Amino acid sequence: MLELKHISKWYNVGGKPTFILKDINLSIQPGEFVSIMGPSGSGKSTLLHIMGMLDDASEGEYYFMEQAVHTLKEKQRSHLYKQHIGFVFQAYHLIDELTVYENIETPLIYQNIKSSERKALVADILDRFNIVGKKDLFPTQLSGGQQQLVGIARALIAKPQLLLADEPTGNLNSKQGEEIMELFKQLNDDGVTIVQVTHSEKNAAYGSRIINLLDGRIEQ
Amino acid sequence: MFNHFISITFRSFWRHKAFTAINIAGLAIGISASLVIYLIVQYEFSYEKCMKDGDRTYRVVTNMHFPNMDFKNGGVPGVLAGTMRREMPEIESSTQFWMANETKVTVPVNGENTKTFPKQDEIIYADEYYPSFIGYEWLAGNSSTALQGPNKVVLTESRAKLYFPTADPASIVGQTIIYDDSLQASVTGVVKDLDAVTGFTFKEFLSMPTVERLLNDRHGFLEWGNVNSASQFFVRLKAGTDVHKANATLKAVRKKHEKDAYLETDHYFQQLYDVHFNGDYGAINGERGHKPTLYGLLAVAAFLLVLGCINFINLTTAQATQRAKEIGIRKTIGCTKWQLVRKFMGETLLLTVIATLVSIGIAPWILKVFEDFIPQGLKFNLAAQPQLILFIVLLILVVSWLAGIYPALVLSRFRPVQVLKNNISSSSQTRRAYVRKTLTVAQFVIAQFFIIATLVVGKQIRFGLNKEMGFRKDAIVNFSIPNNTANPHVRKITLYEKLKAIPGIERLSLAGPPPASPGISSTTMKHVREGKEIETTVEIKYADTSYFQLYDIKFIAGRPLQQSDTIREYVVNESYARFLGYQNPADIVGTTVSRDRGAMPVVGVIKDIHTKSVHSAITPLVYASMKEMNSNFHVLLSPSGENTDGWKKTIASIEKAYKEIFPEAEFDYSFFDETIAKFYKKEQQTAGLLNWSAGLAIFISCLGLLGLVIFTTNQRTKEIGIRKVLGASVMQIVSLLSKDFMKLVALAFVIAAPLAWWAMNDWLQDFAYRTNISWWIFAVSGAAMLLAALLTLSIRTIRSASANPVGSLRNE
Repeated sequence: MLELKHISKWYNVGGKPTFILKDINLSIQPGEFVSIMGPSGSGKSTLLHIMGMLDDASEGEYYFMEQAVHTLKEKQRSHLYKQHIGFVFQAYHLIDELTVYENIETPLIYQNIKSSERKALVADILDRFNIVGKKDLFPTQLSGGQQQLVGIARALIAKPQLLLADEPTGNLNSKQGEEIMELFKQLNDDGVTIVQVTHSEKNAAYGSRIINLLDGRIEQ
Repeated sequence: MFNHFISITFRSFWRHKAFTAINIAGLAIGISASLVIYLIVQYEFSYEKCMKDGDRTYRVVTNMHFPNMDFKNGGVPGVLAGTMRREMPEIESSTQFWMANETKVTVPVNGENTKTFPKQDEIIYADEYYPSFIGYEWLAGNSSTALQGPNKVVLTESRAKLYFPTADPASIVGQTIIYDDSLQASVTGVVKDLDAVTGFTFKEFLSMPTVERLLNDRHGFLEWGNVNSASQFFVRLKAGTDVHKANATLKAVRKKHEKDAYLETDHYFQQLYDVHFNGDYGAINGERGHKPTLYGLLAVAAFLLVLGCINFINLTTAQATQRAKEIGIRKTIGCTKWQLVRKFMGETLLLTVIATLVSIGIAPWILKVFEDFIPQGLKFNLAAQPQLILFIVLLILVVSWLAGIYPALVLSRFRPVQVLKNNISSSSQTRRAYVRKTLTVAQFVIAQFFIIATLVVGKQIRFGLNKEMGFRKDAIVNFSIPNNTANPHVRKITLYEKLKAIPGIERLSLAGPPPASPGISSTTMKHVREGKEIETTVEIKYADTSYFQLYDIKFIAGRPLQQSDTIREYVVNESYARFLGYQNPADIVGTTVSRDRGAMPVVGVIKDIHTKSVHSAITPLVYASMKEMNSNFHVLLSPSGENTDGWKKTIASIEKAYKEIFPEAEFDYSFFDETIAKFYKKEQQTAGLLNWSAGLAIFISCLGLLGLVIFTTNQRTKEIGIRKVLGASVMQIVSLLSKDFMKLVALAFVIAAPLAWWAMNDWLQDFAYRTNISWWIFAVSGAAMLLAALLTLSIRTIRSASANPVGSLRNE
């Protein structure tokens, strides 16, 4: 699915480079459910952003589905990730001005999918996630668990092969969290590759593999 | 997709209600101003555009060369028309007419009865070519013979309706109309009124042969030396004629024929489209356009529009962080930069459309407020003015592009990772703040400029009104005896005797026009000093003995005039004496000056008086006494009556006396000080316009400032909380928040002050006597602007500063 070779990321602070990630080598196969763990500031989110092509590495090579991402232009990259990758955030990041329905629909608009087809796809996923009744509400009218459900629905609407989740249950209570993790498990069983960043051992255990990060390095 | 976009955009407008309202208000003000000003400018420039072959249509005008000045006149000697027609083959067609004074018109109503219209205007004496030259549409009558020969008149439809309300055009033909109780004319045609913007607004065309002899007797119509602006001559030159060559030919024609012209005189072809604007020659029918005013208006519109756009740019970029999250999310789910740019431009377009709709809604109201500047025939009707719709569409596109492109580029440039990590990169933030600050300064420079200009214009008007003009202005009433009446010179004496008996009149004079009046008459005078003859253009006025005392005109030497039937002596002003070379003006007393009729003694020298507005310098002036020229009454009211109704009673008894002597005329009187105030009508209008522009500019700029301060305080909520916890007082916080903004306003002042000084200094050069631009004008305008800004800021800063820090510091 994807392969990282000697990936490093640093910022210059006062003229000296401060490393966020250092020489990361990682390969993830299709169908895997990987959990990235580590203390605050260990570089988990940055690693996830690089995988999602939202951020560039300072050094190293990145191959996604056999394509050398580090050589691609902005436009090609955006084309690549919007077709294959879905994101789920800790803070949900729904657009407050849009209804549940419209939030879920938005990625399809950006992929130039026809209106009738969009309707069918959104109706499908609303049904699957049991949130048909909420489709005309705005994010602020929903509970955290429901918002995250919408966030995941939005991430999945374009049928991505890879789902990247940055502490998806971080803002939820344990019951809601469990439901979300069950959903992830099920998705993984349906064939979606998942990479999640998490603090919780319990959540990490849902995955098939755990990667521990400390000070920007993978702990073996 | 489109509905989707609209509904989402409206939701987003609604969420940011304050910002949306400020943006719409700012844009709407600019757009309404542009709309109204477009209407005005478009109207003014469409004068005569309806006329066929207008580009080769000209008016023949006159330039007479006095010894030390040129006298330009829009009229020509009547004899010129026939001569040019005969000798200039370049002329394809032409028309000559004379614009009549207000005339008494008597119209028959079924047989015996008649209806009288005492003061009819828009009457001309026209030659037979007039209707076809202008291009009227005939409703009745024979177009080719209607004005051939004497005692014929053609009416326009509206005038025909006025005189014969029930009749149809065909049956009006043949009716008889009587002019000034003496001239008879039968109606030979009815034409449609011109439905276009034009100076040819005449409604009644009396055939020229009816009055030609009368005109010649009264006005020397057929003499080469006589030029009257009522005598108009229009020509259409053949296609391809070189107008410079035609001017040369015209000059030769004049030289060949002119007799008894005592001044060197030239004629020129004046392009038809210039007629409405050219102040030297005057418009056909009074209503003159003033190009500099129109350009000024265009500048005001542009400035207000720019202010509105700047507001939009400032607020939208300031608001960017609030929208950053949305932008970041959209990008992570696959939105490209150009899609975002399109989206933001679309939002701007929608906002501009709303602002435009608001503007269209309030345009009729603005037209009412600005009535003074707005030409009377101007209409605002979208359905009937397709070019207006085109203008509005263009305006919307230009404004939304100007206002939208920069924010759209800035917003779409956000990097999603930074947004999602909650730190908008700090470097681009400072750069944008820099742009925002520049724009804010620009706004305040414009506002500040308008304030200073307003103050200077106001000061100059006060200066003009309060200037010592050299004579009394208060408590004087003027009125004149009617023109065209029987035995005026006998009757006016009777009236004079009657008025003398009215107790409320302190002093009375029967003379020529007052010391300062809108029109002046000039003549050429000679004076021989040390064997040399000096010829000068001199303004001439007529007075009786009490005139000088009534107006309190001061004498340097000599005595006032003795009332006489013909000119026997002169009083001159100081400037004339000095012009003739008398170091001590008093020395001219005892010498003689001569007009056409021999030399007459100078018996007195008065101190200089202003006979015109302070635009013009004081020029040589003589006073003479001549019974026939005395058709103005000057009444000094006794001061005791001012605040009681004493004046009213006195004026009522004057009116009664006037009506007894001149029952056929209207009693029109005016207070002298008000007449003088009217000299400054144009400046008063400029002042009014500037007041509005300044007000609106301040308003828009303060709106922008308010938007910025709302944004900044929102951003600094946490900082404010921390400072309060550490012990800062409300005042300290308010000053902390206001300080940065006040610096911008102060900087704007520093930039605007010299610009305004330069521009206003230039404006003042138009006045021969002008006020100085005092330092206090700058102090007051600067202070006013700072105060306005401070008040605007306080709307928000005080609230933020007094907020409970617990609220802002709670961690989410």
